[in-house]
Amino acid sequence: MERSIILARLCNKGRGGLSQRGISLNAFLEVVNARVLYGQNEVLKGVNLAVEKGEFVALLGSSGCGKTTLLRSIAGFNTPASGAIRVNGRDVTGLPPDKRGMALVFQSYALWPHMTVDQNIGYGLKLRRMPKATIEARVTEIKRLLGLDALGARKPANLSGGQRQRVALGRALAIQPDILLLDEPLSNLDARIRLTVRHEITALQRRLGITAVHVTHDREEAMVMADRIVILNNGEIAQVGTPEDVYNRPASDFVAAFMGAENLIELSAVTKGDRVEIAAGSFNSAAVASARGRTLSGPLNARFRGESVELSDAGGAILSVQGDGSLRLSGVVEQTSYPGGLWRHVIAVGPAHVIVDSPRSFEIGRRVSIRIPEEALFLFPKQ
Amino acid sequence: MNARSETKVVHGWGSEELPQPDSAGAFRTIHADSLKAGGRRFAMPIHLIGFLLVAPALAIVVLLFIVPLVSSITGAFDVGGAFSLGNFTKAFELYSRDMLFTLTIVLMSSALIGLFSIMIGGYLTLGSNPRAVAILRWIYRWPLFIPFIVVGQILRTFLAKNGLMNNIFIELGLMTPLSAVSFLDWRGIVIAFVWKQTPFVALLLSGAMASIDRSTIEAARNLGANRLRILIEIVLPQVRTTLLVGLILSFVTMMSVLSVPLMINAQSPTMITANMAFRINAYRDYGVANALGLISLLMTSAVAWVYLRQTMREHSR
Repeated sequence: MERSIILARLCNKGRGGLSQRGISLNAFLEVVNARVLYGQNEVLKGVNLAVEKGEFVALLGSSGCGKTTLLRSIAGFNTPASGAIRVNGRDVTGLPPDKRGMALVFQSYALWPHMTVDQNIGYGLKLRRMPKATIEARVTEIKRLLGLDALGARKPANLSGGQRQRVALGRALAIQPDILLLDEPLSNLDARIRLTVRHEITALQRRLGITAVHVTHDREEAMVMADRIVILNNGEIAQVGTPEDVYNRPASDFVAAFMGAENLIELSAVTKGDRVEIAAGSFNSAAVASARGRTLSGPLNARFRGESVELSDAGGAILSVQGDGSLRLSGVVEQTSYPGGLWRHVIAVGPAHVIVDSPRSFEIGRRVSIRIPEEALFLFPKQ
Repeated sequence: MNARSETKVVHGWGSEELPQPDSAGAFRTIHADSLKAGGRRFAMPIHLIGFLLVAPALAIVVLLFIVPLVSSITGAFDVGGAFSLGNFTKAFELYSRDMLFTLTIVLMSSALIGLFSIMIGGYLTLGSNPRAVAILRWIYRWPLFIPFIVVGQILRTFLAKNGLMNNIFIELGLMTPLSAVSFLDWRGIVIAFVWKQTPFVALLLSGAMASIDRSTIEAARNLGANRLRILIEIVLPQVRTTLLVGLILSFVTMMSVLSVPLMINAQSPTMITANMAFRINAYRDYGVANALGLISLLMTSAVAWVYLRQTMREHSR
C-alpha cells in the first residue's frame, strides 16, 4: 500500500520519477522521453514508460490522448521527434518495424483478403525464408493454439469477426516476437465475444510468457487484462499502476474521473498534521480523512463512485461530524431508474447532481443522506 | 428490394446509376401509385406506360447504336447485294499481316502500360520521399489531356531519323549521324500508345491502391516485407480487378485509334484502323472495311469476355 502510493506519486511527477522506476525495475521495453509531432501538433509530450519482460501493460485513454501514437512509435511506424525506444537495453528508435522483434495486431486486423488463413499466418515465416515444411508445422501449431484448425483454407471474407481476430493474433504470434503489440484488437467484436476473447488473449499471453502492450479505450478491458495500466491524457502519462492502484488510489482528478469516480462535489478543507479536516458546508457534514503525506487546503474537488457509497433516509442532525469521520451529503432524489441489480438515483446535492446506486429505491422528492466512506472519497486540490 | 440490390452487385462496375432492365417491377409499382393518385381516367395497361417512358432512350440506343452496328455487320457479309464471305477472304488475303501486327502492337502496349502504371501507382502508394511522390503525382497525368493526333505529331518530330531524340544523342556524342535510325515504325506506335494510355491506367490503379486498407501494407512491413514484395504480394492482388479493367479499356481504345498509325507508320504493315480508312477513302470499299471492323470487334470482344469471366468468378466467390 505504502509503496504503491509512492510509486504512483513518482510516476505522477513525470520524467525523473519514471525513469528512476524504469531503471530500478528490470525494464525489457523502455520508452524514454518520447515526443511525437504531427505537423505542429505535439501528440506525445515526453512519455516515459518501462515494461518488464513477460508483463502485460495496457495503454488506456480516451480517443486522441496519444495511446495509439505511442504504440505505433514503439512498433516503428512513427519516429519520435526526440527520445528513445529501447528493447532489452538496445536502442531501436531508428530501426524499421521488422527489426525490433515486435509484432503488431491491428484494430482492423489488416488481414490480406487475397490470402487464405494459412497464407496469412505463414507470411511472416515465408519472408524469413523458412523451409516450407517448417512453415507448415508452425502454422499448424498456431492454428491449434488458437482453435483455427478447420479454417486453414478459408479466406478472411469467409470468417467471423472473432475468427478474423484470432487469425490476426496468429499471424503476429507465428514469427515468435519478443513483444506483442495490440491496437484495440477487441473493439470490432460483439460485446459478448469480446468478454471471452479478453480472457483468451491474457491466458495465451501468460502461457507464452510474451511481453504485451495493449491499447484500449475500454476501462474494464484494461482492468481485466493488464498487469499494469498506463493512463494517458492529452499526450502525457497521467498515472501508471496496477489495476487496483489506479482504481482505488487515483493520482489525479482526471484519473479518478476516468476510472469511474464521476460524481464531483466541491468541498473546503485544511490539513492539520496527518489529518485533512473537511469543513461542514450547506450540503455536507464535516469529516476527517488521513492526509497520507498530502497537504490539501482550501477548495477541493471531491470525487466518488456511485456504487461505493451508502444511501439512507435523511436523519436529524446529519451535518455534524459522525463517529467514523466519514463524509455525509444531504440531497433530494430527482430521478430513479433500475439498470439491474441496484437502483440508480440522480440526487441533487445543492447545485451539483450525483448518481448513486442503492439496493433499495428512494422515491422522487425524498430527502436523503449519502455516506461516503473515507476510502471511497478521492480528494484533489481544485484547479 | 433485396433481389434488386443483389443484381447491382452482380453487374458491379459502373452499373449503379443505370436503371436495371430487370427492375420493371419497381417501375410498375411507381406507376400504379401515380394512377391511384390521378384517378382511373387513363386506364392504360401498366406495361405500356412503362414502355412509353423508356421509349425515347430506347429509340436513341436503337437508332444511333444498334442499327449502324447491325448494318455494318450485315455489310461485312454483303457482296453486290448477296450474302458472301468474299469480303473476309479479301480482308485476310490483303491484311492478315496487318491484323497480326495490330494484335501484337496492342498486346505489347497493354503489357507495357500495365508495367508502367504498376510502377507509378506503386510509387505513389508506397514511396517514402514525399517530395518525389508529389512531383510524380503532379506530372504523370499530363498525357491524359493531349489528344492522340497531337501525341502522334509530337512523336513524329521526336522519333524521326533526324528528329529531336537522335539529334540529342548525336549532340551528346552517344551516336554518329550515320548510325541514326528512325523509330517511326511499330516502335513509334508502341511508344505513342504507352505514353498516352499509361496515365489513364495509372490514374485508375493509384486510386484503387490508395483506397485499400493501409494497415494491410503496414502489417506486411511489420513482418519484414520490403517495398517490392509489398507491391507484388500485398497491394497488387487487392487491385488486380481495377488493373484488368484499365488494361481492357486501354486495349479497346488503342484498337480504335486511327491518327497514331497514320501519323507514325503509314506504311505496310500497319494497323487495321488505317486499312479501314484506306479501303473507304481510296476505294469506297465498304464491304472489306466492314469485314475488318468486325474482325477488330471480335478481338475486343475476346478481351471483354476475359474481363466478364473474371468479374463473374470474383462475385461468385
